[in-house]
Amino acid sequence: MKSTTYSDKVLDHFRNPRNVGVLEGEDIAVGRVGNPVCGDLMEIYIKVEDNTIKDIKFKTFGCGSAIATASMITELAKGKSVEEAEKITRKDVAEELDGLPPIKMHCSNLAADALRAAIKNYKKKENQPEPAKTEFMKITGVDRFKDGGVYHKVVDINRLKDKRVIILDRGEDSVSRACSLQKISPRVIFITPNQRVAFNRNFEERLRKARVKILFESEVLEIIGTKTVEKIKIHDLNEDEVYELFADAIIL
Amino acid sequence: MTWLLMPEQQCGSETMIYFDYQSSRPVDSRVLKTMLPYFDKKFGNPSSLHEIGDEATLILEQSRSSVAEFINAEPGEIIFTSGATEANNLALIGYAFRNRGNHIIISEIEHISIHNIAKYLQKNGFVVTKVPVDFYGRINIDALKQRITDKTILISITYASNEVGTIQDIPEIAGLCREKEIAFHTDAVAAEPQIHIDVKNLGIDLMSLSSNDIYGPKGVGVLYIRKGIRLNPLILGGGQEFGLRSGTENIPGIVGMKIAAEIMSQEMDQEVATLKGYQQRLIKGVLENIPDSYLNGHPRARLANNVHFRFDGIEGESLLLGLKDKGISVSTGSACSSKTLEPSHTLIALGLLHEEAHGSLQLTMGRFNRAQDIDTLLNVLPDVVRKLRKLSPLYKGV
Repeated sequence: MKSTTYSDKVLDHFRNPRNVGVLEGEDIAVGRVGNPVCGDLMEIYIKVEDNTIKDIKFKTFGCGSAIATASMITELAKGKSVEEAEKITRKDVAEELDGLPPIKMHCSNLAADALRAAIKNYKKKENQPEPAKTEFMKITGVDRFKDGGVYHKVVDINRLKDKRVIILDRGEDSVSRACSLQKISPRVIFITPNQRVAFNRNFEERLRKARVKILFESEVLEIIGTKTVEKIKIHDLNEDEVYELFADAIIL
Repeated sequence: MTWLLMPEQQCGSETMIYFDYQSSRPVDSRVLKTMLPYFDKKFGNPSSLHEIGDEATLILEQSRSSVAEFINAEPGEIIFTSGATEANNLALIGYAFRNRGNHIIISEIEHISIHNIAKYLQKNGFVVTKVPVDFYGRINIDALKQRITDKTILISITYASNEVGTIQDIPEIAGLCREKEIAFHTDAVAAEPQIHIDVKNLGIDLMSLSSNDIYGPKGVGVLYIRKGIRLNPLILGGGQEFGLRSGTENIPGIVGMKIAAEIMSQEMDQEVATLKGYQQRLIKGVLENIPDSYLNGHPRARLANNVHFRFDGIEGESLLLGLKDKGISVSTGSACSSKTLEPSHTLIALGLLHEEAHGSLQLTMGRFNRAQDIDTLLNVLPDVVRKLRKLSPLYKGV
């Protein structure tokens, strides 16, 4: 079976997804799950009254089955008690949709997990963000590429023309540098270990306007290359995933 | 012979709009017509000595000459295979097992067949290194030079990317190989319908071609082997194709490739000019009308039939499904549409993040696209993107 051969019911939920959106307010709990390998990310918002799921909404970045399962679970969970909703499994969701392609059963069937995460957060009632990190870890390879793409501060910006540049969050200066670099480079990626750029929303807006790509809650572990920088190993702190990104230069 | 008539050929159903020529191309009806007698009336085996066998030998050698002419090679340098994948296998494995040295270089953005052949060679004691590309998909020549050692025997780099359409600087790479006395192989499948390739002038040693990519039948391909290059055969038997590819020749298919190559030689310039027009309209139309959309690959050094976009905050498979509902066939680098659920290795090699590779849309055009196909896509796409972004937790724009 092809990975995109879907049942009519899956296609219906894909075409007309139910309960799309977000819920806001103090009594709202959110469940956010994702699988970076497959590229699916799902958020489920619940509003609980008298131990019953009164309202539920979702947002999904993912393939057809990711959208359909999220839409389906909002229908299944609405009006159910918290305990009943908690018992909804991946299998239940897939069965209600008349099945999913086997390869999607595991990876694009996150809706039940997202709902359970939302319920867990509802029970905890303490969605406090973790304290922000300010220190970068030591990066392996910095000394090896001193003359080959690792910069502490840019002397001549034209050397970075047409290069893919990684810039680490060092406050306002690094934000300005990223914005001006974007004018001559096709690809500037700004990496911050925090959930906010230099703890400041304005900086984030400036970077977005300049079309700089921002990686939140991430840190650089290692610089890889033959003689010059070729790849950067990045640790996604939120997902606790390590991956490699092709790049030509890094500004520390 | 001339092939002046442009066929009024319909591909797919009446209403379907097809933008996936890189995956599969319809056989040109002129090609199909020429092939048919070779299935029943002219069914001879070139190895037979009777009349109908002689007839088969004649058309086989005429086909070899036509394909040779298509790339400015000698007929004796053309080996017919079952397709470009087999040609890639014969080139890399056949060369590696025949020649001294143990180091092979490929690029990060090769077709999956080259990557998997390289893995096989690694398991068999060879050292394989991959050369990175820049953000546009062009080979980093300095990094290539750095990887060459005195053990390097073969460098294989695609002529143009089958995914993002970026065309490599083949004269420079081939020149470097010549200078270092390293054999140079190129997979020219994506390039062959768009670029007049002159193997002699470029100094290419080995080159893979596919019949289907010039509107011939599937199941036929060619490996060009420059005179003097020695290979071990992979398929042993009756010694056909100069002993390099045994098995009774697929005459109907080979005839199909012959006619396809002849038509392509004549019509390429006109076809490429038309496709370039479509390409420019698509790029302009999408980037101007869809916010937070980007072109992947090179803005200029790219195949005329290829456009490749990414859209912030949406996933390619759902984009593909959304367009499928409107009768438009496209392709995506998203993992969710692949067998392995891995994102496209080419897009990752450009330096894109996983989520960006997932949000990509690949449109490849060809001989039977019409100007109104472009209009329809430009009408439909913004809405599909908007609808999916409404669902997306990643999209921050409006």
